[in-house]
Amino acid sequence: MPSADTAGQLLPLLVIIPVLAAAVLVGVGQRLPGRLVGAGTMMVAVVVGGGGTAALIITGRRRIVSWLGDWRPGGSGTGVGIALQADQLSIGLALLAATLMIIALGFSWHYFRAPGSHFHALMLFFLAGMTGFALAGDIFTMFVFFEMMGVAAYALTGLKVEDPSAVQGAINFGIVNSVAAYLSLIGIGMVYAHTGELNLAELSRSLAGDHSTFVVIAFVLLSTGFLVKAAVVPFHFWLDDAHAVAPTPVCVLFSGVMVELGLYGVLRVYRIGFAATSVAAGIDRVLLVLGAATAVLAAVMCLLQRHLKRLLAYSTIAHMGMFLVALSVGDPESLAGIALFVLGHAAVKGALFLCAGILLDRFGSVDEFTLWGAGQRLRGWDGVGVRSIFLLAALGLAGLPPFAAGLGKSLAETAMTEAGAAWGPPFMIIISALTGGAVLRVWLRVAVGAGRKPEGIEAEGMSGDEELMEVDVGEDIPNRMIISAGALVVIGCALGLVPSIAARATVAADRFLDADGYVAAVLHGRIGYPPVAGPVPSGWDLHGVLLSCLTVAAACAVAALAVLRHRLPGGLRPPEVVRRPVRLLRRVHSGRVGDYVVWLLIGVGVTAAILAPA
Amino acid sequence: MSRRARMVLLALGLAGAVVVLAVGVLGLPAFGGHRHPYRDLAVAASFRHATANAVSAVNFDQRALDTFGEETILVASVAGVAALLRPVRRERRRQVDPEMPVMDSTRLLTAVFFPVTLLIGIDVVAHGAITPGGGFQGGVVLATGLHLLYVGGRYRLLERMRPLPLFEITEAAGLVSFIAIGLAGLAVAGHLFSNVVPQGRMGQLTSAGTVGLLSCAVGMAVVSSVVILLAGFLDQALALEEEPAAGQWDGREGAAR
Repeated sequence: MPSADTAGQLLPLLVIIPVLAAAVLVGVGQRLPGRLVGAGTMMVAVVVGGGGTAALIITGRRRIVSWLGDWRPGGSGTGVGIALQADQLSIGLALLAATLMIIALGFSWHYFRAPGSHFHALMLFFLAGMTGFALAGDIFTMFVFFEMMGVAAYALTGLKVEDPSAVQGAINFGIVNSVAAYLSLIGIGMVYAHTGELNLAELSRSLAGDHSTFVVIAFVLLSTGFLVKAAVVPFHFWLDDAHAVAPTPVCVLFSGVMVELGLYGVLRVYRIGFAATSVAAGIDRVLLVLGAATAVLAAVMCLLQRHLKRLLAYSTIAHMGMFLVALSVGDPESLAGIALFVLGHAAVKGALFLCAGILLDRFGSVDEFTLWGAGQRLRGWDGVGVRSIFLLAALGLAGLPPFAAGLGKSLAETAMTEAGAAWGPPFMIIISALTGGAVLRVWLRVAVGAGRKPEGIEAEGMSGDEELMEVDVGEDIPNRMIISAGALVVIGCALGLVPSIAARATVAADRFLDADGYVAAVLHGRIGYPPVAGPVPSGWDLHGVLLSCLTVAAACAVAALAVLRHRLPGGLRPPEVVRRPVRLLRRVHSGRVGDYVVWLLIGVGVTAAILAPA
Repeated sequence: MSRRARMVLLALGLAGAVVVLAVGVLGLPAFGGHRHPYRDLAVAASFRHATANAVSAVNFDQRALDTFGEETILVASVAGVAALLRPVRRERRRQVDPEMPVMDSTRLLTAVFFPVTLLIGIDVVAHGAITPGGGFQGGVVLATGLHLLYVGGRYRLLERMRPLPLFEITEAAGLVSFIAIGLAGLAVAGHLFSNVVPQGRMGQLTSAGTVGLLSCAVGMAVVSSVVILLAGFLDQALALEEEPAAGQWDGREGAAR
């Protein structure tokens, strides 16, 4: 047993430091000069990012385990304390959160002068919540940090209080997530009553071989909160309302890492705590059914949007659907692909949100129709920069090599094919082409002014014209905004070029899925990894590149079709058979929080029905 | 969606949720059983650190990180409320009628119970390690005790008793001291939140090491948080109103007084 594991002792500081800084901002932030608040917040995010990087390097060789207050379990392996655990995947997510936080803070430098230091304090609480959630090795601690990120996220969503729809979006987000959190807490209570334990490693032992329906119910309730955060259909309704109104830099964090953390929560709890229970029989079915529904529904909703931030929000939901579907077949290679996909998606989706933010601040709108041709009014290098960042990010989202999103997608497709799911690649290609096509369509209209100026600008309440500006940038776009967005595109591209990143991701995924190794490390201090056996994927191969290019071509075709639709003969317009369900779909997304809660309850019932042993 | 469709969906959702919860509840261990694995461990651990109140031992010693998280959630909520309730451009302050008409009996009860409640609150916070109670409970008692002044019609006095800038500092100081005690454990014993303070004899006020100190830190943060929170809501309800459009008198101002 390691008596002085410095990395383990210092691991909790990644959570403590941002809270400490946020507490200082809460106490005396109003009296500090704005520059100091901004610089200090940025410095803390950089420190957390640096700590995360160091931890990521260490976790390449072994796990990091931290028992708070040294309440290590005794000989029986059952204890009273709380453990944090870092493997490559969990610390990787924490590092992703810190990186996106640094970029979001850079983009929003000088933002929100009026609310004093509240924005910065809330961002730090949000970062601490996400980091703690990723590292927690205990279901109640997961819940605590889940709530911490929730509380900060609701407030950040409603930050533009002058705008009634911002408050509405924040309320929808808060209520739906809180109801789900209550259900999660009930689930945690059930697990605790059943076993007398909360630690994932201990649960892994005591639940092993338990094939009761009770365990399935406890797992479903426990997962409800995570599924809501992950925006899985029908738990997804809050997400587009929140993304539409939240400040743009906050959207980068929501879409890039918070939503993915919901999926991580489900996987972590299942893979360590519940892997050897009756849940195992149906979990792939749940992932497949919910994931397919999520991907299809969100891809259609994405095509229907003209509010740019809402469109990007549905694109995120569609990607979550793809993640779920891929995870339902082909472990651990699928998980490796999805891990890379998540990183690549965070980069390009973040860049797209920042472009939306630049357009909003420059033109006071994020409406695709109003902004028609607006991109050409951006003169000089600013205009070239924004137009090319938007285009590259949109192509990267669709899967263009060498972007990491495309590499991850291609790895997941290979894994699905090898697992016998030949429908996998076509499914991934279609969903990517539809959501990528929707974003490219916006680029064609906004940046190039392609097609005809769209009609019916007044017709819809869901347009993006009502959106309030976040900050008055004046005539020129500040460099920091373009640099932040550009940095994300560069990161997204560079990640796909890191040598042997596919192999590394596979090793990391393998270790994440190794429940025995997790238990041995957390309960018995054997923190080394067993050697990874089996073949490792090589990264980009010709097959993957060709399929990715096909996806991008299909996305371009979707975009061109949408923009030039009016030139088509009448027979090629969508027939009534298609338009009716689409209208129904729009009506279902009513914006009423009562409806959303009802869908949540239906989701709980449906998930339990799919998961319960037949 | 039509009302009927909504009702059908609601019925479906409730039916599913009821079945799920019923199956779950029926699977729980029977009431009054003798198998309590965590309790057995936690009580033994609480005795080892000379903490008479086992609940406090769990909250502030064995699972101090969760309590840290919960205290942080409270402070973050207050920061969120402050951000969302800030006066927007269309709102302005008005003078709140300082002394509302209140029955004499209410005034008398307030005068009696105001000091008593404060004393009990302090007692609950201070004795968190040895008697039922602790920082969260005592903090709420203290904060609500202060608001007896509002019930007794003394809004002016309440405003004087709670200088908000000071309470913002004590709120942050509560959280900072919690972290500082945790860091002291890291510095001295090598583990965050280690109980490194001498633990004394069980049952004494000074027993239980860090438990009492952490309880006081939480108490300080909670009393300040709740006071700031209630001040924000009271302000929103009483002192802020929408700016009437220029050159137009809508009569609401007079009615409000």
